[in-house]
Amino acid sequence: MLDTAFEALKKFDWGSDLAELAAIEDAAIAGHANPETREELENRLISALNGELTRDAQDYVCRKLAMVGTVASVPALAGLLVKKENSHLARFALERIPVAEAAQALREALSHVDGSLKVGIISSLGARRDSAAVATLGGLIGDRDPAIARSAALALGTIGNAESAQALTAAMRTSPINPQAIIDGLLSCAEAMLVSDQRAAASAIYKTLAADSHPRLVRLAATRGLLSCGSKQA
Amino acid sequence: MSLTTNSTRRDFLKTAGAAFGVPYIITSAALGNSERPPASDRIVVGGIGIGNMGRGDQGAFLGRKDVQYVALSDVREEVREKSKAVVDKHYNNGDCQTYNDFRELLARTDLDAVHVATPDHWHSIMVIEACRNGKDVYCQKPETLTLREGPLMIAAARRYGRVVSGGSQRVLGDYRKYVDPAWAGEFGKIKSINVNVGPLPQLCNLPVEEMSEKIDWDLWLGPAPWAPYNSKRCSGSFSINGSSWRSFSDYSGGGMTDWGAHHFGGATFICDVRDLQPEEITYFDEAEGKYLAYRYPNGLVIYHNRPKTENMYIEGTPGEKLAPKAVPTYKGEGGIYGDFIECVKTREKPFRDIESAVNTAVLAHLGNIAYQLKRSLKWDAAKQEFVGDAEANRFVDRARREPWQI
Repeated sequence: MLDTAFEALKKFDWGSDLAELAAIEDAAIAGHANPETREELENRLISALNGELTRDAQDYVCRKLAMVGTVASVPALAGLLVKKENSHLARFALERIPVAEAAQALREALSHVDGSLKVGIISSLGARRDSAAVATLGGLIGDRDPAIARSAALALGTIGNAESAQALTAAMRTSPINPQAIIDGLLSCAEAMLVSDQRAAASAIYKTLAADSHPRLVRLAATRGLLSCGSKQA
Repeated sequence: MSLTTNSTRRDFLKTAGAAFGVPYIITSAALGNSERPPASDRIVVGGIGIGNMGRGDQGAFLGRKDVQYVALSDVREEVREKSKAVVDKHYNNGDCQTYNDFRELLARTDLDAVHVATPDHWHSIMVIEACRNGKDVYCQKPETLTLREGPLMIAAARRYGRVVSGGSQRVLGDYRKYVDPAWAGEFGKIKSINVNVGPLPQLCNLPVEEMSEKIDWDLWLGPAPWAPYNSKRCSGSFSINGSSWRSFSDYSGGGMTDWGAHHFGGATFICDVRDLQPEEITYFDEAEGKYLAYRYPNGLVIYHNRPKTENMYIEGTPGEKLAPKAVPTYKGEGGIYGDFIECVKTREKPFRDIESAVNTAVLAHLGNIAYQLKRSLKWDAAKQEFVGDAEANRFVDRARREPWQI
């Protein structure tokens, strides 16, 4: 069954019957209870991905690697991060594979891409809350491409640790390219700090953002944050 | 995108005369009359996604005297034109502005609120972006596509002090024959309730089709994986069996989320667990069929598709009667739309506040994952993750196509 499905995968394209690949889906599910089945499936998927496939078939493989991929899948997926047609589905898998090597592959790809692909990789690092990416993302807040700068600021907000807040605060002091995203990132950091009981750090962020120089929407958000700091304290 | 303040139409009108420095005529429509508030007191609304559901939402807001509908966004040119014509005819002017890209609409500083009725894969991005831009939001159901989106939407709403309402009018409207006795305590302690809804979403692999409409295809796909145009892929029909985006997992949770928003929403309302999420999902695969049992921290069980059990079947405690509670309802007048507009004015939480809407959607998402993985799951609502199941945790979210991010 699985052999037949992998044969079908070689010719799989838009309009092909997904039922022909059902055995692959079944094996991905069965892999939870049977590590050998999972490992065999992963190896076959990697091999297929390294071969000749249509874009649709490559996408399908990446979707399955998002379910069963391990560190073994990372090199094949990393190679796709820099390709316009494949970068998203490569992230589809790498964002969800819970090994450090997947995050490392995403970080390393940053220096090889630009524009939208870079934005995508930044967003995946944010979604993984990859603290090892904070320094790099901090540098990207000042990127001349506003989309990259915005994405980096939002990702730092999602990561939400003290170093993220530091990078965002530093960017706020200079001439921020995208103040809305930096402010949103800072508010997000402050909320994470409040949850982890770092009231003083959260309060410092809120006080900065409560200043008259900021728009009313931001001042109100900061004031609500300050009240939360106070109520937590009480 | 520019940084916008929370300036309202009222603020704008207060300063506009001085800013422009030229005389202008105040029309009778702007001043209002005994039946319509003056323009400065109306809630200024825009709409994003004016398809089947969006048209209905737009009509509901247009019909309100306390609303001024001024802008709309849709990726289909024909929809934009027709929808603008409807709005302009209603006001007898040509003022309604149209946008292909919703970000331009959200950047307007004169809008108080927006309604969102795009396919589900767009909801979280648009709701969060609207909050960042100081807009209140009425978002059609199902509000989320993944589990991770819900907490981020709630956080954005709370962060910016926004009123964000989910969209199921059926939660309060369809189940009163169960809600009223349940809240009156007549069932005693409710042990379980059954919800019948489906089907599950499916992967879409429709063939390439020549584009038969003027649509910004890249923007329609947005954060979803790239795929070639096919009219069924982007059809807004209410089909959940392969003939519309509602059927496909890249854009929707299938019938589980589409009708689940109503049925699960009704069940959680009946049982008064709208503020909770389940902690355990048990998967059954028996001769009579596959079904689920969601167990809540308070002991309640919500069954899904329990064999030979009717929708909303309630198992109470015979002979027991609990103290009655007042049934929550809409504020203002005009159903769920009136509730939203009233809350925009008063800053109260709407009946379908985003948090309870998200809690409903969580049931559907957890169910989809349990059925796909064919196994029971434990869910930690506080951490928003599956307990001891790294593979299931891979389904909590999915990467968005560049350049879209939440």
